[in-house]
Amino acid sequence: MTLLDFARGPALQWSLIILVTGIIWRIVGALLLSSRKDLSVARRKSGLNDGLGAIATRSLPAHTFEKRIRFQHVTGYAWHLALFVTVLFFGPHILFFESLLGFSWPALPNGIVLFSAAVALAILIALLIRRANHPVQKLISNADDYISVILCILPLLTGILAFAHIGGRYETLLAIHLLSIEALFIWFPFGKLMHSAMTFPARFQAGTSFGRKGIKA
Amino acid sequence: MNVSSPAFTEFRHSLANLAGNPQETGMSDDERLARARSTFIAKLNRRTAVDMETCIHCGMCAEACHFYIATEDERYTPAYKIDPLRRFYRREVSPLRLLYRPITRKMDLDELKEWSELVYEACTGCGRCDMMCPMGINISEGINIMREGLAAAGLVPDELNALQAEQRQSNSLFGVGAAELKAVAAELAQHGTMLPLDKESADILVLTTAVEVRLFPEAIAACAKVMEKSGADWTISTEAFEASNLGLITGDKTALRAAFKRVSAKAKEIGAATVIVPESGHAYQALRWESANALGEELAFEVLAISEYIARTIKAGSLKLKPATEIKSVTYHDPCRLGRQGGVFDEPREALQAMGLDLRETASNRRENLCCGGGCGEYAISHGAPIRQKAFELKKHELDDTQADAVVTGCNNCRINLMIGAEETGWDMPVVSLVETVASNLAE
Ligand code: SF4
Ligand code: SF4
Repeated sequence: MTLLDFARGPALQWSLIILVTGIIWRIVGALLLSSRKDLSVARRKSGLNDGLGAIATRSLPAHTFEKRIRFQHVTGYAWHLALFVTVLFFGPHILFFESLLGFSWPALPNGIVLFSAAVALAILIALLIRRANHPVQKLISNADDYISVILCILPLLTGILAFAHIGGRYETLLAIHLLSIEALFIWFPFGKLMHSAMTFPARFQAGTSFGRKGIKA
Repeated sequence: MNVSSPAFTEFRHSLANLAGNPQETGMSDDERLARARSTFIAKLNRRTAVDMETCIHCGMCAEACHFYIATEDERYTPAYKIDPLRRFYRREVSPLRLLYRPITRKMDLDELKEWSELVYEACTGCGRCDMMCPMGINISEGINIMREGLAAAGLVPDELNALQAEQRQSNSLFGVGAAELKAVAAELAQHGTMLPLDKESADILVLTTAVEVRLFPEAIAACAKVMEKSGADWTISTEAFEASNLGLITGDKTALRAAFKRVSAKAKEIGAATVIVPESGHAYQALRWESANALGEELAFEVLAISEYIARTIKAGSLKLKPATEIKSVTYHDPCRLGRQGGVFDEPREALQAMGLDLRETASNRRENLCCGGGCGEYAISHGAPIRQKAFELKKHELDDTQADAVVTGCNNCRINLMIGAEETGWDMPVVSLVETVASNLAE
């Protein structure tokens, strides 16, 4: 079995199994904990609107605190967006998704995808440096914070190298690229990358619990 | 009441002496730790678990916290203040606890002792960080849980402990019990304001606070005028007048429940359908939002802040105000626990506008309002004075920028903290109470 066969075969399968089981385990485990009914009388009925409202508004860049967090906001949006473009609109990625899902969608020109991958990579490196140096982030960071960023950097870096055929045979570069993604999949359920799923219930409950007091979360 | 009055000076002296008699807990270290652990376990439910799972350590919450903004001390980052709880959650409660256990450390007492400073002195529970967090994490609730755990472990700062012991042992605060309230009532009666004390039945039970009795009897008189003018059937009980609840501040659940029980039993006894909380943000948050859950049953009465009552009676036409003449423009300071943690934003503003006042908002207001820096018992902790003063300066700038004639607030604790700040810095913007402003402008 070549490295590429391994990356495409068992490594992919097992990493996906760990990814899916881990995500379900962690979400279900948290949601299964007991919860108590709030016995105070709500100022107004709160529900779906408040919950979905909080999900939407916590994603909006403009608010009163904006000027103090502009750098984090802008970089945060830019890198997530650039990542989505890279993952979802690169031709070979779409072929891969098609093999899993059975349908496809139009790709963006390679130049645009390469640019967004480079943007995402550059921002992540900047954020990593900031984390290691900014007094607040340095203090509150743990190993998970660093591992998670590094595991996001690697697929971008190896992807760009594979695309540009730099540093080795294409097959080897591709295999390394796949393995780096699989490492990310395996790590995903154990660390803070889970926020991509958990942010929805977290924001939702902020919306409803503040909402019942008559406060916009 | 102003900063040069003898009552205020005397009050500040008594604050300074609070830490003089530290209470001994008599607990061994192991016992303390066990009590903190079981409190954390009991409090970590589905909601808090979701919060604990979701933090991305972005640090943005620091930029909402007045203590961090004012000092740039990274230890005041809100997420850091609840870090022991989050680590405890991961190791002991989370779905992945079996994986975390071999690679993480057990919570220890030194760590809790260290955090006592961060969660009591360097946090007013204002909840501003909750509004900032991009993940929607309720950090201030985490801080409440931290306080509960520390209270169970006997790690409450001496000043708050002294106040709480006083409330528990003699049902008084700052030396104010039934006798002191009666004395104030007699004095107000001499000036023509009658307090209907201890009626056997009344529609409305009005609460006050020890701080009002000692420092702001004018606020009690103002409240009486408003109640009379609006035609209410009301009373104040000398047995259950205290709205302040030290249990909410320290995190001691037994004290919290005991104080709620007194008020709830009295309201039932006299058949009151409404209980009115005076100008105290934490008392409002406690009775309005926490008490039913602490008592384990829905309240048999409605809880209103005095500002809600005022706005309601203005709307109903039973309270009429005339245009204010002494001051023309005001800015309103939203007390955190009345506003962001309590949901009362509009009512005080409606009352101010009903007096034709030019209301000038501070740069941050309502749900984003900057805390005065002294809430949640903070102003009583002497060791916290330097950072509190720095936080006050932030607030002062925003208030000054409005160029209003006065700052109105709806919380005695904010008022005291702003007055302390004024005394320390020579700041001269008058700090006035909403209910007193309303009472001076009642239409004939
Ligand atoms: S802002 Fe929210 S997610 Fe970011 S560090 Fe603070 S609590 Fe965590
Ligand atoms: S509740 Fe207020 S004081 Fe406490 S950490 Fe959050 S912003 Fe700071």
